[in-house]
Amino acid sequence: METPREILELVERFRKRDRHALSRLLSLTARGEHLDVVRRLVQEHPAQARKDGQHPERVAPVVAVTGSPGVGKSTLVGRLIEALRQEGRSVAVLACDPQSPLTGGALLGDRLRMPSRPDDEQVFIRSLATPGGRGAIPEHIDLMVGLLKGFGFEWVILETVGAGQGETAVHHVADVVVLLVQPEAGDDIQWEKAGLLEVADVIVVHKADLPGADRTEAQIRAMLNLPGLSGPREVPVLRVSSARQEGIQELLRVLEERVRQPRGLRVSAKSRLRALVQDRIQQAIESMGSRAEELAQQWQEGGLSDDQVLREVLAAAEKSLSAPFAARPDESAR
Amino acid sequence: MTTPPIRIVLAKIGLDGHDRGIKVVARGLRDAGFHVIYAGLWQTPESVVRTVADEDADWLGLSILSGAHMTLVPRVLHLLRTAGLEHVGVIVGGIIPESDVPKLLDMGVARVFGPGTPIPEIVDFLRSSPRRTPTPSVS
Amino acid sequence: MSTATERSAKERWEQEVAQAKPRPQPPTTVSGVPIEPLYTPESLPDFDYETELGYPGQYPFTRGVHATMYRGRLWTMRQFAGFGTPRQTNQRFKFLLEKGQTGLSTAFDLPTLMGLDSDDPRAVGEVGRLGVAVSTLDDIRQLYDGIDLEQVSVSMTINAPAIVIMAFYLANAQNRGLDWQKLRGTIQNDILKEFHAQNEFVFPPEPHVRLVIDVIEFCTRHVPQWNPVSISGYHIREAGSTAVQELAFTLADGFHYVEQTMARGLAVDDFAGRLSFFFNAHNDIFEEVAKYRAARLLWAETMRHTYGASKEASWKLRFHCQTAGCSLQDKQPEVNLIRVAYQALAGVLGGCQSLHTNSMDETLALPTEHAVTLALRTQQVLAYETGVTNTVDPLGGSYFVEALTRQMAEEARRYFDRIQQEGGVIAGIESGFFRREIAEAAYAYQRDVDAGRKIIVGVNAFTEAEEKPIEILVIDDTVEKEQIAALRAIKTARSQEEVRRHLDAIRRAAESGENLMPVLIEAARARVTVGEAMNAMADVFGRYEGAAKW
Ligand SMILES: Nc1nc2c(ncn2[C@@H]2O[C@H](COP(=O)(O)OP(=O)(O)OP(=O)(O)O)[C@@H](O)[C@H]2O)c(=O)[nH]1
Ligand SMILES: [Mg+2]
Repeated sequence: METPREILELVERFRKRDRHALSRLLSLTARGEHLDVVRRLVQEHPAQARKDGQHPERVAPVVAVTGSPGVGKSTLVGRLIEALRQEGRSVAVLACDPQSPLTGGALLGDRLRMPSRPDDEQVFIRSLATPGGRGAIPEHIDLMVGLLKGFGFEWVILETVGAGQGETAVHHVADVVVLLVQPEAGDDIQWEKAGLLEVADVIVVHKADLPGADRTEAQIRAMLNLPGLSGPREVPVLRVSSARQEGIQELLRVLEERVRQPRGLRVSAKSRLRALVQDRIQQAIESMGSRAEELAQQWQEGGLSDDQVLREVLAAAEKSLSAPFAARPDESAR
Repeated sequence: MTTPPIRIVLAKIGLDGHDRGIKVVARGLRDAGFHVIYAGLWQTPESVVRTVADEDADWLGLSILSGAHMTLVPRVLHLLRTAGLEHVGVIVGGIIPESDVPKLLDMGVARVFGPGTPIPEIVDFLRSSPRRTPTPSVS
Repeated sequence: MSTATERSAKERWEQEVAQAKPRPQPPTTVSGVPIEPLYTPESLPDFDYETELGYPGQYPFTRGVHATMYRGRLWTMRQFAGFGTPRQTNQRFKFLLEKGQTGLSTAFDLPTLMGLDSDDPRAVGEVGRLGVAVSTLDDIRQLYDGIDLEQVSVSMTINAPAIVIMAFYLANAQNRGLDWQKLRGTIQNDILKEFHAQNEFVFPPEPHVRLVIDVIEFCTRHVPQWNPVSISGYHIREAGSTAVQELAFTLADGFHYVEQTMARGLAVDDFAGRLSFFFNAHNDIFEEVAKYRAARLLWAETMRHTYGASKEASWKLRFHCQTAGCSLQDKQPEVNLIRVAYQALAGVLGGCQSLHTNSMDETLALPTEHAVTLALRTQQVLAYETGVTNTVDPLGGSYFVEALTRQMAEEARRYFDRIQQEGGVIAGIESGFFRREIAEAAYAYQRDVDAGRKIIVGVNAFTEAEEKPIEILVIDDTVEKEQIAALRAIKTARSQEEVRRHLDAIRRAAESGENLMPVLIEAARARVTVGEAMNAMADVFGRYEGAAKW
């Protein structure tokens, strides 16, 4: 672990926009070391940037790209990098992949799909392993994003597997959440996806070169119009094919527009609440193990009423509330 | 506090597309608890060094089966040095004639692994090598 | 005594087996398939000789594609060769023909395989290293100079730029006054397995396959004795697949080519007889033999019933065989000689039409002449001394081999269904299906070796403390310079105006969908290079880095 002196040196180098220092500080942050230093560094930055007149606050949009494994997140992020570079914008990417809960190991292959010229200082890609399993977001990602913004990147993109797992965390750091879905051979979009739609600010029907893209788009639009499912907000739905390079510019324009809108308009508080509840309930059902099967069976056969079933599910949800990691230690310490 | 996972970048440089070995090693190191950043095929020395820098990797593993190692490896080592990344350990895998091994080691390669090297051997080597000094200090 | 007679022979055997001390690891094939201690008639329920085996040279060809097999004619001994300049390889070819080799097989260097000229910056350090460097028609001329191309059959192992190299070959033949009708040989031209396994591709899958079909179509019409594609499982296996995966993916690729060629309007019987195959010969003799036999059966059955082929030639799966490079070890390299001999035996027991035996030093560098000679001698001993050629399909009727053959065919059919579910071969490439399946198999195998569940002599057992080095071939660095200088000279001597005109013609043909072969043959004459032709096509088709993930 670094000595305080080395840390100060890193900070100095970071301020002088030394790329290796940024890289190193990201590692320290990812491991939860010297967070106080990083936090201060991140906080000093918007002010300093304004003073330089270079990077007024909030000019760097943070876009989260989420969706199931293999839906083409990395490929699309790669296309976004190209499009942004063509417009002369700098961009940093944090690409998250799950790490094995057993061994702690991870195979991080996202950057493979993100072309970047080795001599282009304006693109930065960092791969991160997320311990929390599917859908989770690395700890301290807010600080990492802060570092990247502070360093001067004009856009920050996060790739995460299935944000929507109710984690509102992604909303804390991202200005826009883009959800990718791909044309499905099956009949209907599963309920799980419907839940995901809730957290998205923009929905991309990706791999639109594949058959069935129009049908998937129609299904999603129908679902967004269901009363009660989405709040009073407009969620753009776009068809994009990274393979054919179609729809990338349109997506970029939509992202720019979304970023300019005040937060409240984009995600209604009510719909975020709904997403949270849905997610917790789903977790609760999963936590019940085989009992959930039994319950569902009895309910279906008419042996149990709706209310009886719900009561049991809610009880399970209640239990999870008092679980030891409901509150983060470093939050309670403050 | 547990030691953080070792981060290693694995890449193929040059034109050859034989990636069986590197993919097996990538999976093996993952299952041994490493964080493996897979940079894939057709990398240039320049792109590999950029990846190592941005990923803040502890190790770089290069796989070369084309016979071009005596051209490509020295370039990677040179670029690492000029980028101030001499603390990053470099291992090389692939078809490397016995007579070239000492030359590569002299240049600064930490170890050369032939085809079919047992993964535990690679894991043990990486684990037992001293970890780098965290930040090159100018004291 | 009396108790023994009360029980049946089978029960007694079962009891003995149950009492015997089991091996620490239950025996499996190289591919991890469990094997029974004994095979009997009960292992083959409803076995029907006529429908499952039949007679050699007759449907379904399980026992072989010729009536007399090696009693009639031996397999072609075809050693893959190529390194350095075309002139150097030409000398190696003549050396091999002198030693009694009966066909030529050309290895190209990596830049050529990737469609790059020798003077391309990406080619630095790789020119002439793993094969011969070819950038222009003149290189092809020198490569086969003084070799009678109407007599010797020539194989060319090249895929991404196959159509360009084939155009060079045909232009060269014409310049030499040879009759295209008499040319015999094979161009590998199998891009699908590049996407699955070897990663030597340039364009996206669909236009790439179109080029494959252009060659098939053109050769069907104009070079009738040429095999315009060699549908290859070899590289799939080298990438770490199981035997079943090799079999199933290769045949699925073959079916895709058949469908695409038929979609051009060619009648299946007009081209199917010229499709050839290329399989790996790995260490597990019986598994390999079962694989080749199942391949013939499945191909015959599908060509006949799915694609409606009615000529016998269209049903026959003819294949070239090469011993498994991936099985060679750099520890105690001479032991590789023995591995290669057993692998070659498997290929011959499986009824291959031609065979390449690897040299013992190939994990270290390119083979020396000494090593190449020994590899060829291995085939000659097999052919003339061992007696395996005396009868057709000597393993036919073995309960074990027949049961394995059946099992192999069934599992391949299951893979065909899965590929269908993926949406076909191209969709399976795009989604990474093939690559994932192969990589998982490769990893499982390595874990078995690392854990000592699979023994490799000299590597995880019977190791030597002190290894004595063997002599290896060193390619000198002057090759690259020489080759680049020659190419530059050609580039300055030709008419730039004419080159531009041909490149435009290539782009137009690529755009219009017409067969590219005629314009490429014309371009070859004007000394358009491999790299230039490929770039012109890339302008239309785009480049592909896609599915090279896992
Ligand atoms: N047809 C089609 N395929 C695409 C497109 N974009 C990506 N793919 C393919 O989809 C597969 C997955 O792409 P990735 O970008 O790795 O997907 P991902 O969502 O980042 O995957 P993970 O990081 O593993 O969760 C690859 O085989 C891509 O080639 C597209 O626009 N069309
Ligand atoms: Mg990804």
